[in-house]
Amino acid sequence: MSKSINKIVLDILSYAVLLFGALTMLFPFVWMISVSFRVPAQQFSRNIIPNPFTVQNYFDLFRDLPDNAFFYLTFNSFKISILSVIGQILTCAMAAFVFAVVKFKAREFLFALLLATLMIPPQVSLIPNFIIFKYLGWIGTQLPLIVPAFWGGAFGTFLLRQYFLTIPRDLVDAARMDGASLFDIFWRIYLPLSKPAIAALSIFVFKDAWNDLLHPLVYLPTDLQKTTLTVGLAFFQQQLQMGGKFTVLMAGAFLSILPLLILFFIAQKQFIEGIALSGMKR
Amino acid sequence: MVYGLKPLGREKFWLWLMLIPTLIGLAFGTAGSLLATLGLSLFNWDLINPPRWAGMENYVQLFENKDYIEAFVNTLKFSALYVPGVVTLSLMVAILLNRKIRGVHFFRTVYFLPTVTSAVATALVWNMIYGKETGILNFLLESLGFAPICWLCTDNAMMSVVIVNIWGAIGEGMIIFLAGLTAIPRDYYEAASLDGANELRQFFSVTLPLITPSIFFQIIISAINAFQAYDYIYMLTRRGQGDSSVPVAVYSIYRNAFHFFRMGDASAQTIQLALLVALFMMIMFWWERHYVVYE
Amino acid sequence: MNKHLVFFVVVSLFLASCGGGAKPAAQEGVVEINFTMWGAPEELAVWQAIVDDFHKANPNIRVKVNVSDWDSYWTKLNTLIAGGTPPDVFAMDAPLFLDWQSRGALLNLQPYIDANPGFLDGFYPQTLTAYKTPNGYYGLPRDFQTIVLFYNKDMFDAAGVNYPNADWTYEDLLATAKKMTLDTDNDGKIDQYGFWSDTWDMELLWSSVIWAYGGEIINADHTKTLIGEGSARDAWAFIDSLYKQGVMPTPTTSGEFGLDLFQSGMAAMTTIGHWAVPGYVQSGINFDVAFMPKGPAGRATSVNSAGFVIAKGCKHPDAAFAFINFALSEAGQKRLAELGFAIPVLKSVAESDAYLKQPGNLNQQVFLDSLAFARMKPVFKGYEEWASMVGDGLIPVFDGEAELNATLDEVIAAADEVLAKNK
Repeated sequence: MSKSINKIVLDILSYAVLLFGALTMLFPFVWMISVSFRVPAQQFSRNIIPNPFTVQNYFDLFRDLPDNAFFYLTFNSFKISILSVIGQILTCAMAAFVFAVVKFKAREFLFALLLATLMIPPQVSLIPNFIIFKYLGWIGTQLPLIVPAFWGGAFGTFLLRQYFLTIPRDLVDAARMDGASLFDIFWRIYLPLSKPAIAALSIFVFKDAWNDLLHPLVYLPTDLQKTTLTVGLAFFQQQLQMGGKFTVLMAGAFLSILPLLILFFIAQKQFIEGIALSGMKR
Repeated sequence: MVYGLKPLGREKFWLWLMLIPTLIGLAFGTAGSLLATLGLSLFNWDLINPPRWAGMENYVQLFENKDYIEAFVNTLKFSALYVPGVVTLSLMVAILLNRKIRGVHFFRTVYFLPTVTSAVATALVWNMIYGKETGILNFLLESLGFAPICWLCTDNAMMSVVIVNIWGAIGEGMIIFLAGLTAIPRDYYEAASLDGANELRQFFSVTLPLITPSIFFQIIISAINAFQAYDYIYMLTRRGQGDSSVPVAVYSIYRNAFHFFRMGDASAQTIQLALLVALFMMIMFWWERHYVVYE
Repeated sequence: MNKHLVFFVVVSLFLASCGGGAKPAAQEGVVEINFTMWGAPEELAVWQAIVDDFHKANPNIRVKVNVSDWDSYWTKLNTLIAGGTPPDVFAMDAPLFLDWQSRGALLNLQPYIDANPGFLDGFYPQTLTAYKTPNGYYGLPRDFQTIVLFYNKDMFDAAGVNYPNADWTYEDLLATAKKMTLDTDNDGKIDQYGFWSDTWDMELLWSSVIWAYGGEIINADHTKTLIGEGSARDAWAFIDSLYKQGVMPTPTTSGEFGLDLFQSGMAAMTTIGHWAVPGYVQSGINFDVAFMPKGPAGRATSVNSAGFVIAKGCKHPDAAFAFINFALSEAGQKRLAELGFAIPVLKSVAESDAYLKQPGNLNQQVFLDSLAFARMKPVFKGYEEWASMVGDGLIPVFDGEAELNATLDEVIAAADEVLAKNK
């Protein structure tokens, strides 16, 4: 009896905390959307529902953009992000497997080196990397943004390694006894069981690639048809910030995150399923 | 902790094959990032002319550079506030969401939203929210009877910026912890339940020990993010063309490299930051050896 | 199996379109040059028009125009130069000119100028000084800016206050600003400030005030900061009083209203240059301009320019100069005048209708006449870092968190160190 009362109390507490947190998470977005539909005179108003309601801000945003630039920008961002995800999943999973499961001499050293690359912020490695890409002749193309995704990464490898380490060793031993090779073990045991971690990694890689400003700025031409959404928006934001045109600024901000949000909503069904399913399997 | 399979003979081939992409990346990253930065820190380079040898000069100057010292201390303060905050909060959320209550789907989505969006876009809203005269936060405070706070003034800026960064990162930690929580086999809970343990006890004896791998990962990643924090701070506290009211290490590094023609100084500052991270990671790996439970 | 096939096809398509990033081979005999500048989105269209005109006159040169926002511009420029792939022609802000020129990043344009006698005759002489070095000109001005006083006619009319005029002193400015600082909707909060200006960089306000009070900014050989000497201190006291008397919001709080309070309709007066005009017009502000006020030592304002420079490593310097030549010709300058962002450097164009009769009914002549008492914005090595020391250092004073004279001493010491480092 006391057990169920305990559970109910904990449930209520959980809900209360979660709801409060959810409100905090959502509020800035609600505010952003609200301001984006207001008339400039009311940009600082306290009401959440704009009155009068207007979509003029969104039109103002596009007024200065040359034809179709928005679609090119979005397409470029999308392409680079998707390819980054594919590259990272493939290469990080392989490396993570090796670091987590296989014993070999250089393991600790290589892993430490890998983690060490995390310590240099991107602003600093920008110039040395740029010089290397210059010698390869890749400046002005999308290659410096895509190819590095295919040669592993510290974050992804680290994340998956931690997850792989939690997979019970008996599965592996059993497979070994059945004569499975190293690659079999990777492909048939570790990968399928790691859907949640892989799902999580995909989201992070996509988001980082999508929101990256520094690298597209420097490697891609400053052409509104060849660069990414982040660079294009930075170009427009400065003017808007000048005039304190917050309503248009918010419209722009919202549009810049909208593609990501839509993608997230579509894809998260898979991810949530992935997490739930593997939970049941165990 | 020694673990792992020994590759059998021919399998050595697979082993290295699977590692090749990462090895290429390592070569590139080590040369391009670590060695290049280390090398540049020993020179003075204005980006235009060939670098001139400087030896340890840049490092010595670090101790005299008041702006950098301020930035470095701010980075430490920021990290000390941010890391515990984000790790505990996201763990708490993950645990609550793992409890099989209704509406989990909704909550998971909502908590992840801030993480999915770009810092530049959301910082613009936060700027509006934090406004002293015009912000909605102060409006709420006033309607509850409190005095308005100047959120982005020098006194409060650090805390305000920490809050925004935590807000933007809880979702990330939550996902990682959720993934880790689902990896804990159900049998352990059942066994504990049979032994008469209630939910709270189960948390401490089953969940907590077995979630340590994720905690370990999350602390390291959060710390690295904290040491390299830049976007939100830049957007929220920037004053005109120059400084920020909460300058942090990366701020100083960026300005030295791209505005003051001092690549050597920027590199030395980066190395110092990197050493800090390395130190922290060594401490964490020691902790891993003693406290993290893998199986 | 089908799913995998689809996936594979999609990925291949993406990878195939990857090649779309590759540069097409240049046609025979056509020289391509890159021109980059910072600017507002509106400027992109007009520069493209100038470039199109140029293409018609020079069919074997193609110019690629790249416009970025200010921050992105310098990040990218520095990276490109550090990486050894500089743009051919790029925009330079006069104060920063020496930092680049002294480090050997720029091409000496003197040979081209010598080959075109009389080339510089039509320019306003003040605009040329910043780019001249003992070896010749390493850059050329593309337009210039003088700082004038802007005022919001609607706000003045509503308050029944007389417009600023040519006899104003800074005391008049302060007095009027006080009358114009109002709580228009009676909610206890000020929503109209009498005055606003940027006090971080010297150009918009403080250099003019210091000069008008008889002070100086820096000494002739750039070794000593003079902003704390003698009457310059009085100038600072005046600026500080603007904050303390509440006619101007403090730097930290002003940010929440936008970056330019005149443009967001929160301030009745401001001091700024012509580049702000298109933005103000677009925001629907009904405004006009007047001379900068007089100080105890007379009237002063700041003149500055944005210029063209050619990178030292440029592979087609002749083509690059041909483009610059065009932009500085009457045809090019006329287009620029129509843009409305800045004032043409060619006297003939500036004094013609192309400039004087632009959209926006303000007194364009004021900008030109201000040249009579304008002083050049100082140009020296280490400018940006020096400006940071001063700009950053004084913010706590204006925020009310530090004392003016003590902070000035600290700031000047730090600024002098920057000068010493850059000798």
